[in-house]
Amino acid sequence: MDFLRYKYNNLYPVFAIFSGLLICIFALVYANHVECLYFLISVYLFSFFFIDYKKCIKVLLFSFVLGAIFFVVAFLVSGVYEQGIFMVNRILAFSIGMLPGVSIGAERLARNLSSLRAPRSLTIGMLIAFSFMPILAKEVKRVKEAMKTRGSFNFLNPKIIYRAFLIPFITRIVDISDTLSLSIETRGFSLEDKNYTVYKKEHLRIFDFIYFVGIVLAMVLVIVL
Amino acid sequence: MSEQEKNIEELIADLDSNQKVEIKEEPKKLKKKAAKQSKVEDENKIFQKYKIKDIVFLAIISAIMLLTGAFMPLVSNIPIFGIIEICLGLQFSLFPAIGMMKVRKPGALLFMAFFSGIVLIFMNTIMFFCLLLCALICEVLVLVIFRGYKSNLASWLAGTLYMPLTLPFLYVWYSFFYTFTGEEGEAVSAFIGSDPWMAVGMSVAVVCLCALGSLGGVLIAKELKKAGVIKK
Repeated sequence: MDFLRYKYNNLYPVFAIFSGLLICIFALVYANHVECLYFLISVYLFSFFFIDYKKCIKVLLFSFVLGAIFFVVAFLVSGVYEQGIFMVNRILAFSIGMLPGVSIGAERLARNLSSLRAPRSLTIGMLIAFSFMPILAKEVKRVKEAMKTRGSFNFLNPKIIYRAFLIPFITRIVDISDTLSLSIETRGFSLEDKNYTVYKKEHLRIFDFIYFVGIVLAMVLVIVL
Repeated sequence: MSEQEKNIEELIADLDSNQKVEIKEEPKKLKKKAAKQSKVEDENKIFQKYKIKDIVFLAIISAIMLLTGAFMPLVSNIPIFGIIEICLGLQFSLFPAIGMMKVRKPGALLFMAFFSGIVLIFMNTIMFFCLLLCALICEVLVLVIFRGYKSNLASWLAGTLYMPLTLPFLYVWYSFFYTFTGEEGEAVSAFIGSDPWMAVGMSVAVVCLCALGSLGGVLIAKELKKAGVIKK
C-alpha cells in the first residue's frame, strides 16, 4: 500500500506549494495578532516530521537574523513592543511559508506537473528557471574574470558595465540557450500535443493529507482562540 | 525516312523530354514557394507558435531576473512606498526588454512573469499575482497599440510599463497586510508618509528607472542583432 507508506521529506509537490501559500497568506493576514507567532511556531515544529530537518534549521537561522533586525527597527520606529512582534510575524510568514516549497526539488515539481498534464512549455520553462541559477553564477564569475584580464573591472562606470559586462554576458546566455534548446529537442521534447509518459510518478500519500490537515487545524485554533 | 524528318523527330523528342523535366521540377518549386509563403505568413501572424528555443531563452532570462532580485524579501518589509519597485525596477525592465526583443511573440512577457513568479511566490505572494496581472495588462496594451512585438518601441513600452504598473496594486498590499493601527486608511498613510508628494516622487522615479532599464535592454538586443548573435 503505497498510499499509507511514510516517506520522510517526500511531500507531494503540488500539495507542498499549496500548503506553503496557505501558511504564508494566513500568517500575513493575521500578522498583527500575537497568536500568529504561536501558529507559526507550531507549524514550524510540525514541519520537522515531514520536511528535511537540515532545511528547517537553515530557514530558522535565516529568519532569526532577519527577524531580529526588523524587530529592533520596528521597535525603535514605533516604540511599541508588539509592533516588533508583528514585524517578526511577517518575516516568519515568508520563511516558514517557503519551507514546504523548498523541500521539493524542481525536478519533482516538473514531474508532478507533467503527470497532471500541465502545458509542456510551462514545465520545461519552470525546470530551466530553477536549475539554471548555479550555471548563471558561474557565467557571471567568468565574465568578471574576463573583465579583470582586460583591465576593465569597474562597476561604477555605466559604459564599462554595458560594454564589458552586459554585452558578453547576454551573448553567452544566448549561446547557452541555443545549445540547451537543441539538446532538449534531440531528447524528444516538443511543445506539440503529443502523448508522453512520466518515468517516475509522484504519488499522493496519506501523510500529505495529515500535513495539510495539521496546518488547517492550527489555523482554526488561532481563529477560535 | 529522310534526314530532315529524322531531325524533326529528334527535336520533338528533345522538346518532350524538356517538358517532362519541367513538369518534374514544377512540384518541387511549388513546394518551395508554398513553404516560403507559409513562412512569411507565419511571421506576419500576430499570434505565433512558440518553439522550444523561445521557451528556453525566456526561462533563462527569468532566472537572471530572479537572481538579480534575490534581495527582495529583505526590502519588502521596509515601510517606504515603492521601495520594491525602486530596487527591482532596473533589472525587471532591462531583462524583459531583451527577452521581448529576441522572442517577438505575444505572451513573451507573460511567460517571463510566470517563470520568475514561481519562485517569487514564496518571497512575496502578492507580488507574484501583481506581476502576472501587470504582464497581462502590458501584453494587451502592446497588442492593441502595436499588434505584437514587431517594433522595438513595443518591447520598450512593455518593459517600461511592466514594473510601474505594480504600484497601484501596492495599495491592496499595504491596506491588507500592513496594518499598524488596524485601520485601513491609517495603514496606507503610514507607508506613503505624511507627505503624499513622496509617493508621487517615488512613482516618477520608478517610471524613469524602468524606462532607462528598458532602453538599455533594447540597445543591448539591437547591438547583439547587429553582431548576429540574435537572429530573427
